[in-house]
Order: sequence, then structure tokens, then C-alpha cells
Amino acid sequence: MSKRPGGELASRPLHFIWIADSSGSMQQDGKIQALNTAIREAIPHMRKVADDNPNAQVLVRAVKFSNGAQWHISQPTPVADFAWEDLPADGETDMGKALALVAEQLKMPPMSDRALPPVLVMISDGQPTDDFEAGLKALMGQPWGKKAVRIAIAIGQDVDNDVLQKFIGHPELKPLAANSPEALVRHIKWASTAVLKSASSPAAQGTDHPEASPASAPTPMGVPVPTAVPTPPPAAQAVGATPNPADDQATIDDVW
Amino acid sequence: MMGAENVAQAEEAKEPAPAVTEVKQATAEEWQVIGATVPGASHLRAGIPNQDAILFLRESSVGLPIILSLSDGHGSNKCFRSDRGSRYAVMIGAQLMREVLNDDPSKIAESRTRLTQEFARRWNEAVTADLARQPLSEEELARLATKDSEHARRAVEAHPLLAYGATSLTVALTQSFIVYLQLGDGEILTVSETGKVAKPLPEDDRLLANETTSLCTKNAAEDFRFFYQPLTDALPALILLSTDGYVNSFSDDAGFQKVGSDILEMLRSDGFDVVNHSVKDWLEEATRIGSGDDCTLGLICRTSALQSHPVPAAISAATTTPAKPPAQETPENIADANPQPQAEQVA
Repeated sequence: MSKRPGGELASRPLHFIWIADSSGSMQQDGKIQALNTAIREAIPHMRKVADDNPNAQVLVRAVKFSNGAQWHISQPTPVADFAWEDLPADGETDMGKALALVAEQLKMPPMSDRALPPVLVMISDGQPTDDFEAGLKALMGQPWGKKAVRIAIAIGQDVDNDVLQKFIGHPELKPLAANSPEALVRHIKWASTAVLKSASSPAAQGTDHPEASPASAPTPMGVPVPTAVPTPPPAAQAVGATPNPADDQATIDDVW
Repeated sequence: MMGAENVAQAEEAKEPAPAVTEVKQATAEEWQVIGATVPGASHLRAGIPNQDAILFLRESSVGLPIILSLSDGHGSNKCFRSDRGSRYAVMIGAQLMREVLNDDPSKIAESRTRLTQEFARRWNEAVTADLARQPLSEEELARLATKDSEHARRAVEAHPLLAYGATSLTVALTQSFIVYLQLGDGEILTVSETGKVAKPLPEDDRLLANETTSLCTKNAAEDFRFFYQPLTDALPALILLSTDGYVNSFSDDAGFQKVGSDILEMLRSDGFDVVNHSVKDWLEEATRIGSGDDCTLGLICRTSALQSHPVPAAISAATTTPAKPPAQETPENIADANPQPQAEQVA
């Protein structure tokens, strides 16, 4: 019997969104060039991950924020067709507006309830110059905003880690410190591969917070971050984490 | 693996009490059950077993009551024994519903709390007994730490029931009412004789992004959805239960709901046997092209509804000649026959 019941079959969409700081400070010490290079180099690795899981359709796009926020690549683009366009750097750090822009696109519709958890990767070297809290509230006001896997990469020493921590929204996950172009490449590659691979798994999981005991405090509805994000590699040192010998190279290479 | 106490419960179960006969409409109806489960395409790639399960109970080959239960064991790394958890879920769901029907069917509308609390308690008890027989091994925990993280290992060590996490979808159909009981993701649909598809249970907005309420959580009893439907009007032609692997294989919800009306039409045009033998192929195609997750589909269809509408000329012999009645299944022979319930055991 060749016919089958139901509508069109399709793999599940996985939206991957870069949220990139393109403020004036990113112009200093080659940060914006390093960011452009790192994302461009990560794309083949993303494609490999996507190829390994044909049941997830990885769709990539990017938001930039400086004076306001705009979609840098607005269409959810299949990773096989995705090409990075170099970001310029100029202006303020309107991170809140970037989050509000993402929040609009995480509404249902256009999002579908059968999607896999979106992956949001924030990359910044500074401090918000607009109403960050309003943007975060808009993002977290959307079910897919709350369920998104949120990763933050902190470039250099002047970044506001408290803000990035709020964006991540989980105390056990810290912003990843990128104090050199090499570290930035590593972190972006990790977000593009390990995180993407984990988020694209169809594995359902109970809503218990992994630390919750069945006999302890009330069980919260879980956030996917602690269960969906793989452990960063040793070199992906988190801000505030205790350095270990494996991180020496990252420390020695600090240039930002 | 089947717990001995569960087998004993099945053996000791009373025969169902005579069903309430106020609703004459349903008493002479014949019903058939179809079902299949297939491992997910991504599970096959990763070497993970099928973690779904399906089971039905009935007292005769064509009559009522019918109880159909499905479960989806979570695919998370932490839920590495969820294939067992789902099998306990279908056995407990079916057995518990049978007991409730035996006790006093007139009180079932008020039995939600009892059903859900007892379901959660028995599943917890069965899993705890399984853990006592076979504690989590260092090998399993080390594999979890390698595959996932030390954090995941600690989570399971602190809360071993996580390893068995599973959902539950159970329907009991009698001559006078239908009970729908669901915890977690997946879908239950009803299809009328005219092909109208409906969802008898309310949506649960929390079921998003691979997260689901689960038998392994402490709030399991409260998280069940329950609906008691007296059969005062037209009987459904078809009741369809599906785990989320099949649901998520369609590009949208309308595409999944169309499964209900399409299958009804196929039953009318191609016959029961053809549909019965096609279900597994449909699920395999769905997981390959769609979600990649385990896919399970269970159907209860009313034979008379397959003949009450104009039938295409190509009607098969299977429609006019009733299909071979499905064998009566019990939790015991499901467990003994194969630890991983398969399509052949259902239809």
C-alpha cells in the first residue's frame, strides 16, 4: 500500500540565532574581525552536525546590535545554504533591543510547537546602553524564549557578566570568557557543534530539574538549559570559574 | 523485564462487571484494535532501543470493554532504563483501568484522583522493585557520565526513578462511556463517522521543547489529564492514540490530525487487514523522514462505522469479511512474549 495517512512529513526545525554585538568597542583590538572569522570557520562544523542528524532541520540567522538592533541575516536559512556576512562595528550596545527583536520571532506563530529548542548565542564585549531588562522580559515572555538554550560568550575584560548571566538564566551555566581570538574560535565552535548536537536530539526529558529530589522541594517546571547543554570543554573556561591547568593556554593567550 | 508482582496482579484480576446497559446504541457494536510501535530512526543510529510500549486488554475478540495503553519512555541520556519504565506504564495503566471498571463503573467519573494517585504510586512501586532487583550499576552510571555529564550522573544517583521516566496514554472504552487518561506528551484523537477529528483532552501548554510531564516526577499524579465521556450521542468511529514521535513527524498539527480522517477512509476503502498491515510501514516512514523518535500508534475502530457511509467500489473483502479478531492480550503474555511490545502483539 503506497499511500499513507496524514499531511506532509518533515524533520523538526531547530532555530539557531547568533546575537552579535557590533558596537564601536568591537572595533578595538580586532574583536569584530575575530568574531567574523570565528563564525565563518564554524559553519562547516555546523553543517557536519546537521548532516549527522537528518531528523532536525537546522535554520540559522543572526541579529546585530549597536545603535538599535537589526536582523543581520533575517531569513531562517538552512545551514547548508548559510553564509556569514561580515559585521561592521560602530555605535552603542543596544542589547535589549536585540532580545526584543528575537522575542518577536519566537512567538507562535511564526514558531511551531513541534520545533526543537532554539539555540540563542549572545556574543558581546560590553555593557548594554539601552533597556536590557525590557528586552529580556520580552524574550522570557515567550514560551520558546524560556525554553531556548541560551549561551553567552563574553569578549574581553569590559563585558558586563551580570547581564550575560541574566540572559543565560541558570546559575550553573556561566558566560564563556573569550580573551583571545583563539578562545573566541573555540567557544563559537563549541556552541555551533556540541550545543547544536545536543539541542537537535529528539530525546524527551522529564521536566524535573536535574538537582530536584523527589522528596525535596517542589519540583519546578524545568528549563532545558541544564539538561540540554553539554559540558563545555576545559578550554571553554567560564567567567568566574576556578582556573585549572587545562585552561592555562587560554590565560596565557589573553589579548583582550 | 516484568515484575513478578505485576504478573500476579494480572492473574488475580476479576472479570469485568457487566457494563451499564442504559445506552443501547453501543451494545451490539463490534470493535477492532490495531497498533504498532517502531524504533526511532535516530535511536537506530545511536544504538538505543525502542523506548515506547503499547498494550491492550479486552474481554472478548470484538466486544467491549477495550483498554488501550501507550507509553513513551524518555530518550534523555538520564532515562537509560525508560524502555522498562514505559512497559511498566502500559501494564499499570491497563490493569488499573480494568480494576476501576470492575469495581463500580458508575463511579468512574469521580475516580480521577484515585486513578492518578494509584497510577503514580504503582509505577513508583514497580520501578523501585525493579531497582531493588537490579540496582543501577557502575557501568550504567559511568556510561551516563561519559555520554552526558557528571552532573547527569549525580542527578540520577539522587533520583534513580529518572532513569525510568515515561509518559502514559490510556483509553478505556465501554458500552456507556469512554475514559481518557494521559500524562505527558503524545496525542489522543477521536474521529466521528463523518471524519471529524477532535481532541478529547485539553492541551497542556507545558509540553514544549522536548520537555514533558512524566511518571518519574513527584507531581505525576497531579499532572495527569483526565476526561470522562458518557456515550449519550454518536459513538466515535475511531479512537487514535499516538506517542509524540509520530505526532512530531508531521509538519504541523493539521497534518497529524488528518491521520485520523485518512485512516477512517482507508479502513472503509481498503479494509481492516490492509490498514493493519500498513501501520508499521507508516510509522517507519514517519520516523525516517520526520522526527527520528520512536513512533507508536494505537487505534480502536468501530466496525459498523466502516460500513455506514458510502464505500468506494474498490472495497476490499476485508471490510465485508471481518478481519481475524485480535488475540486477547494480558500484561502477563506481553511481558513473557517479548520485553519490548511490538506490533504483532497488539494486532
